[in-house]
Amino acid sequence: MSLATDGNLSMTDVAPARGRLIGQVARHIALFLAVMLVWEFASTYELVDPLILPRPSAIATALVNMVLYQGTVWFHLGVTLWEAVAGFVIGSVIGIGLAVAAGLNESFRRYISPYIIALQVTPRIALAPIVIAWLGFGMMPKIAIGALICFFPPFINTLTGLLNVDEDANEMFRSLGAKKRQIFFSLMLPNAMPIIMAGLKTAISLALIGAIVGEFISASEGMGVLMQRYTFALNMASSFAVLVILTVMGYALFVLMEWADNWLVYWRHDTRMTAISRKKARAWAGIIGRRQA
Amino acid sequence: MNAIASHLVAASTSHIDPDIVISARDLVKAFNSQVVALDRASFDIKRGSFVSLVGPSGCGKSTLLRLVAGLIGKSAGELSVLGHGVSGPSHEVGMMFQRPTLLEWRTAVENVLLPTEVQGTTTDADRKRAIELLQLVGLKDFEFSFPRQLSGGMQQRVALARLLQTGANILLLDEPFGALDEFTRERLNLELLRIVDDVDATVLFVTHNISEAIFLADQVMVMTPRPGRLAKIVDVPFERPREIGLMQTPEFNRLVGEVRSILGGH
Ligand SMILES: Nc1ncnc2c1ncn2[C@@H]1O[C@H](COP(=O)(O)OP(=O)(O)O)[C@@H](O)[C@H]1O
Ligand SMILES: [Mg+2]
Repeated sequence: MSLATDGNLSMTDVAPARGRLIGQVARHIALFLAVMLVWEFASTYELVDPLILPRPSAIATALVNMVLYQGTVWFHLGVTLWEAVAGFVIGSVIGIGLAVAAGLNESFRRYISPYIIALQVTPRIALAPIVIAWLGFGMMPKIAIGALICFFPPFINTLTGLLNVDEDANEMFRSLGAKKRQIFFSLMLPNAMPIIMAGLKTAISLALIGAIVGEFISASEGMGVLMQRYTFALNMASSFAVLVILTVMGYALFVLMEWADNWLVYWRHDTRMTAISRKKARAWAGIIGRRQA
Repeated sequence: MNAIASHLVAASTSHIDPDIVISARDLVKAFNSQVVALDRASFDIKRGSFVSLVGPSGCGKSTLLRLVAGLIGKSAGELSVLGHGVSGPSHEVGMMFQRPTLLEWRTAVENVLLPTEVQGTTTDADRKRAIELLQLVGLKDFEFSFPRQLSGGMQQRVALARLLQTGANILLLDEPFGALDEFTRERLNLELLRIVDDVDATVLFVTHNISEAIFLADQVMVMTPRPGRLAKIVDVPFERPREIGLMQTPEFNRLVGEVRSILGGH
């Protein structure tokens, strides 16, 4: 009943909201086009040096060339994406794993914290040449660099989330006779989920940075290599096209993480929460012998 | 040797009254040498009775409840629940807190089912009971709402249903409606009386509101702070079921005055 009413309310809300949204998008596009146009003219009439700031149309042409005609960019994109994602997964698994161990065991926490702090205050990207010296020239060192610089946010966020459990909730579980394992999986972990996800969102962009810096230092494939090749050849339009592709890739990863957040931390997202609420009502209909709206 | 031992056993069993569910003798809890949260408390609580604990904050009310719940260990004295010394949490004893302590990722009914889940596997009978309990506490049609979609009063109702789902016969309530507005609190108090009558439980109810303590209870344990002491146990003779108008009667106000004077002496 109440859900159905809510549905109706939001329906009447949607129509004007959609109109406003279209207006907003239109204004954004107009502003973007205006900036591009000014840039285009400034570059054409050499108000800025096109070698420094190539024309938007030149960048667009380079982009179309790269993506559609040459097609080699897909291979490099795949390499960088693979390095970034692998670095992210490895770094996150290590970060979360260490945090869980530290969260559950106080003496372990005490022993590793100085090392963790040392590693945090070190500009870890400075380790990149050392890692490359150790691991050689393939994808492995880039993955390792990505993992190294991205593991900290998942670690510290997971630890904070696990330790930040409501004391009353903890006592409530104990009063029910819950075992440590039950408290961990039913209380501590879900309670930490929102902040863990926030850490993972930061980690994925760090892993991408790690992969590209690794490629800058020494590599024969990947978007970092393409970027260097084009800038060394003073083909600035293509360099910017590479940058655009990296932006799109970063954005895609970001959207993926937002989607995962929406899926995993459903209780912090109203729409998902309402949908799950209805789904559960349907699933329970048989048990309670009552139809839900 | 044997004679002495059997004599001791006889002496210690002779005072076990099957009607006494909670019994304390000189119970002490000290957190460290400075803080004596509870100093030599002795009391017996009868099966099926409703006992209020009243006193200013810091007088050891929560400490007493947590001792009975087996959440903390005593420092000295004796404490037994259903004839056994308390050594940890027990399925016979359930506890409810001032804050709802609901799991925000679970629907109301899934929160109510938590005690069942912790104890083992959940059957359809358990699920039916959880739904019934939510109806009992007045939350029909909110079974599948998440805590964030419920008001503070409704959340505390879910917590009450969860407490009842434990099947515990001894219910410890630590200022359960203390964070709610006065109207909601009054209504929930009346419903609580109806519900515990229904489920035939023994209740220890903590509050710092004297009228509330008297209105609800068969006995009021009056506590005073620094160190936390049980100053007096006051019997409340009023008939049940009780109506809210009771609070206007002279006898009621006489009892309020009596409790206030015990607290005022400190
Ligand atoms: N875990 C603890 N460690 C140290 N002191 C505590 C702890 N818990 C309670 N106390 C102290 O014990 C006294 C009684 O506390 P409590 O039982 O919570 O009082 P009440 O519930 O009546 O307000 C207070 O002085 C409090 O500071
Ligand atoms: Mg308290």
